[in-house]
Amino acid sequence: MTELDDSIINSFDEDDHRVAYIFSSTDTSSTSASATTSRPTKRRKVISKPTTTSTKKSGSAAAFSANAAIPFPPLLSGQESQVAASLRQKTYETVWPVLEEKIESVLRNANKHTLEEVETFFSSAPADSNKIPAGFVITGPNIASQDLLFEQLAERLAGNDGARVVRLRAAEAGNLKAGLKKVIGGVVGGDGDEEREKDKGRRKYLDYDLEGLHAFLKRDGEEREGKVVVMFQDSEAFDVGVLGEMIGLFHSWNDRIHFSVVFGIATSVELFQARLLKSTARQLHGAQFDVVQANSVLESVIMTAVAGMDAKLRIGPSLLSQLVRRQQEQVAGIQVFVSALKYIYMNHFYANLLSVLLANDGNVDRKVLQPEHLEAIRMLDSFKTHVELAVKAGQLSHAHSLLEDDGYLIDQILEQGEKRKEYLTQLLRSLHLIMATGLLTKPFDELYEASLEAGIDLNRSPGPFDIGDSIRGLSPDEFLALIVRITSAIHSGSPELGLPGWEDDAEELIGSLTELRDEVEGLLELSKDNNATLKSKYSAQSKVLRTTVVAQKVQLSRDTATMTEQDKDFTSAIDKLVALLFQTADCERISSLFLHEVWQYDFRSPYEDVFVPRPGATFARALSRPHDYLGCSCCEKANGTIAPTLPTTSILYQLYFEAGSLINVADLWSSYYALVGDESEIGMDERSALVEFYRGLAELRAMGFVKQSKKKADHIAKLKWL
Amino acid sequence: MPPKKSQKKVAEAQEARPSRKRQLPVDPYDVPEEIEHPKRQRRSNPTEEQQQRNEKEEDVVVEATPSKRRGRAPKAAAAAAEPENAAITTTPSALRQKNSIETPVKINGINGVNTPGRKTIADRSARKKSARALVDRLINGAISDDEAEDGDIAREIYESSEEDEEEENEEHPKETQEEEATATPSKPRRGRPQKSTTTTTTTTTTTTKSTTTTRRKRPPTPPQNLPAHEQYFYQNKPGPSKTSNNTLSSLDLLTHDEYFSVLRTLKDPHEPDVNFLLSLHAESFPQWAFELSQGFSTCLYGYGSKRKLIHNFATYLSSSSTPNNNTIVVINGYIRTLTAREILSTLSTAILPKSTLPTTVPTLPTLLSLLPPRKTITILLNSIDSPSLRTKPFLQSLLSSLASHPQIQLCCTADSPDFPLLWDSALRSSFNFIFHDCTTFAKFSASELEVIDEVHELLNRKTKRIGGKEGVAFVLRSLPENAKSLFRLLVGEVLVCMEGGEGEGGEEVNVEYRMIYQKAVEEFICSSEMAFRTLLKEFHDHQIITSSKDSLGTELLSLPFRKDELESILEELMS
Repeated sequence: MTELDDSIINSFDEDDHRVAYIFSSTDTSSTSASATTSRPTKRRKVISKPTTTSTKKSGSAAAFSANAAIPFPPLLSGQESQVAASLRQKTYETVWPVLEEKIESVLRNANKHTLEEVETFFSSAPADSNKIPAGFVITGPNIASQDLLFEQLAERLAGNDGARVVRLRAAEAGNLKAGLKKVIGGVVGGDGDEEREKDKGRRKYLDYDLEGLHAFLKRDGEEREGKVVVMFQDSEAFDVGVLGEMIGLFHSWNDRIHFSVVFGIATSVELFQARLLKSTARQLHGAQFDVVQANSVLESVIMTAVAGMDAKLRIGPSLLSQLVRRQQEQVAGIQVFVSALKYIYMNHFYANLLSVLLANDGNVDRKVLQPEHLEAIRMLDSFKTHVELAVKAGQLSHAHSLLEDDGYLIDQILEQGEKRKEYLTQLLRSLHLIMATGLLTKPFDELYEASLEAGIDLNRSPGPFDIGDSIRGLSPDEFLALIVRITSAIHSGSPELGLPGWEDDAEELIGSLTELRDEVEGLLELSKDNNATLKSKYSAQSKVLRTTVVAQKVQLSRDTATMTEQDKDFTSAIDKLVALLFQTADCERISSLFLHEVWQYDFRSPYEDVFVPRPGATFARALSRPHDYLGCSCCEKANGTIAPTLPTTSILYQLYFEAGSLINVADLWSSYYALVGDESEIGMDERSALVEFYRGLAELRAMGFVKQSKKKADHIAKLKWL
Repeated sequence: MPPKKSQKKVAEAQEARPSRKRQLPVDPYDVPEEIEHPKRQRRSNPTEEQQQRNEKEEDVVVEATPSKRRGRAPKAAAAAAEPENAAITTTPSALRQKNSIETPVKINGINGVNTPGRKTIADRSARKKSARALVDRLINGAISDDEAEDGDIAREIYESSEEDEEEENEEHPKETQEEEATATPSKPRRGRPQKSTTTTTTTTTTTTKSTTTTRRKRPPTPPQNLPAHEQYFYQNKPGPSKTSNNTLSSLDLLTHDEYFSVLRTLKDPHEPDVNFLLSLHAESFPQWAFELSQGFSTCLYGYGSKRKLIHNFATYLSSSSTPNNNTIVVINGYIRTLTAREILSTLSTAILPKSTLPTTVPTLPTLLSLLPPRKTITILLNSIDSPSLRTKPFLQSLLSSLASHPQIQLCCTADSPDFPLLWDSALRSSFNFIFHDCTTFAKFSASELEVIDEVHELLNRKTKRIGGKEGVAFVLRSLPENAKSLFRLLVGEVLVCMEGGEGEGGEEVNVEYRMIYQKAVEEFICSSEMAFRTLLKEFHDHQIITSSKDSLGTELLSLPFRKDELESILEELMS
């Protein structure tokens, strides 16, 4: 024990006092023998045994990927077979990149329009004007998602225009010199070193001298035009003075170097201009560009990556709504959403034993599935409900074999892959049809969430999919347009959802739709000949409802009286269409499916802990209830109260919270010493207690709970009340 | 017992006035409570009959008049009827209770009104008394500190009993109605105490005592269980601080040597638990490695030192991956001298073989362009929220651009609860953090946390390692004689200034450079300003003086020591 203590206290290893060093395990074990070899290995012996053995075993299995050298550890405390574990990993590695690529392309396409505009603006800017062309890109407050936009912009301008692009951030350009250095460094770039080597004979320039840039461009000028585009990504964060000076400098060099600037603006151009000096603003020739709303980007990402056919894993409704809410409430940026999505995939495949079933069909066979898998499946809620339903329906042998016969269960499990696909197709087709009617104003993600949560049932009214009434209220022309929309939706599918057209599967539906269309067209002709307007009983009613109450009664009776034959036929056509739609767009809720746990992920906790941590609460808990973490016998009773056995910092923390905004250290010390001193249970002597007290106080300070105060001698000020 | 005092004052004040206060018997406050009670009981026994008679007569009245009146009537009657033994007879509250116990149904039944409880009456008289005290204070004018406090309490009682009355009124709506009918709400009563002080001051001593003690409980103890924001405003309200004037001067503060020698002997009783906690965290190593490999950065936060954890993680990483492809770089953020340059140069040694190292430290883009395609670098960063890292925003953006590189993985630790404030959303998204709660409860090592310096800085004892009295002596020993004399002069001057009361508020005392120079010349310590400067520079180098300029540009010198330290330094120099 003393040896260990020494190693803690005396760990004046060289490494600890070095700012940065390259770690190598052999090095340290030789330098500080007691500290590193005895303790960590002891610990490793216990925990990492399975992982070290697995490395050896799965050496061949893990060979398929170079960058993920660390294989998934087997679950069930090592009982899972290595094959299954590596299959999970392999599945993850095949599933996610596909999705990531799709998301990437969605994001890139979202900015396409803005990019084109900016590009045309710069290429059409008059070259001889003495003003600097300036693009003001209104990015909105979400600076996190700007990065992609500027990256694309830089690529685009550099690619098509041959311009040299430098991206500047406020943190990197605190003053004019740093900003210029960055600009010149960005243009001269990686090949600068070689250039400099070559240029030894020539004149050397300071690295913030635009003359140097000019010289470089002139040398380079034969191939390229020599435009320089400087992008101020977070222009609001820049010091106005620096910005003004930089623009001024660019302006004065404009006859030799063709500068252009792009400002990323979170607020509005007016506000930005108000900050600039008038003389500076006059040097700019600007145009404003808007970026696609974050909401619409989010929606298309959700359509592609969450709802689309390519998403192997379904994000459950409650988690999805939380993700979307976070996007809207905290300006988190689409990147955060994508990261969260990725983490959810990682989580599922890393920690869910059954995720192995999501592997491509050929790979999952009887050999992979161990008895443990089957046992786990039999524990699932959906398995239980399935069996119970089977018993209720009288399929006793089916239920019995599910419970008893492993082979039968495996067959059933393997069938689920197909069933999952069927379900998904049905779900997405229904959703697509409903969206295609254009009668619902809700955003896609809400509809999707609702359909997962409760299934799609158009008969349920009021519900999220309450379109029956709006269909009934349609006029004949609208009715025809609706049919056209539906047929084309079936014909083309939805590329965003990854849904191909399904004309072949829906011949019957299309047939009846065309029939309806022909019928209504005929009716329309007829009524035109008769010089009457075609209407249904629903539309008549709805018109009446808009008039006064008194008029309603009168008109209603007259309307029914004057319904022509055509009107009646039209009404029945509408009824047919509604029935048809109701029958087609129909889907169960996801949690009613057998083994949906395998491919649905709906847990909030790891996501919340990992992306939206609450460090304040964590620290408060650790300090006020150390037993929660330490699990020691001595502090069990004292959880939440003060006891002498608690760690010193914890005692001080609790005393701290009892104190006012100014704390007398002398009093703090005396109350601490009264608690742990000679007369208490642990009876520390004064000097030891003082050492502990010092430690605790220093830690409280390091954690930002207290600061020094000059108001009174030996007093410290409280900084936290939470 | 402040209230007692105030009552005495009241009594004295009353003594001065020619009224029936003469009849006051022996001061009742001198009689101990314990004895008083039985005595009273005994003494009142013979008069009980009479009292009861009174009570019965009163009952007749009560039926006609509102109950409030009833509370007052007997007192006045008693005081008027038996002025000789006012103290003996007038214990209405105690008696009343007895009576109401004897005939509770009747009284309540007839009136449909509850008799005012003992407490209410007591409160009422306490209120009167406090009103009295307030009035007297106004009359006397002179307010000492004690009195001020008494006054506060008196006011408190006065106001709180008003509240109580309101509450009471709500409880007894009928009573209020009646009161309203007679149009004597609380207001008229405010003026009344003067009339009936005799009875109140003398009779209800016991009850007053009890109520004042319960009342007094309230103000000094802060309200418990306030929500955090309320607590903040409660504790930050303007006014003198309520802390004591104790200082640590009696305590011999720790020195570095003592600290470490004691620390060595201390044994942490929680060590096995801390180690167990570490081993629990170690179980997540494969998971963290996976997260890192997927392009996330991990951030480990929570109370306790995570240096050990990071070290173990590094060991795990290096054992589980092939060393050629992955280099692990450890950065100790807690080191105060951390610079971007050092980070970059270490990274460049990690990336390039030793032979091809460039002579200058490369910039970040060049560094990244040199990174061979198949190689990854894992950066393990201790304390991303350390003072050296949080004060330089540039370092954070450097780290974030490192972390966003696909071939560089970052795992960092955070030691303070406010670390998320370090990053804006752009930085955070380029870090792409995953956070894990890694509370370790491990002790911070000496390199991570310089305990002695931290605490002394916190206590405004600016004693760096060489500093302090001993440090000065040590420095001066190696300096020439005239340097010593100069320092003595300086200390003397600063002390004179301190005596003059300039540095009362704990501010540093400055002396004028010019003046010190003049004196030094006068005392033949130095002959030219040049020599003077040279001497001062020596002090500067050892950080035993500081200089500054005031708003007018006058150069000022000061010594970073406290008065008692200066005194002992001076003693040492003179001896």
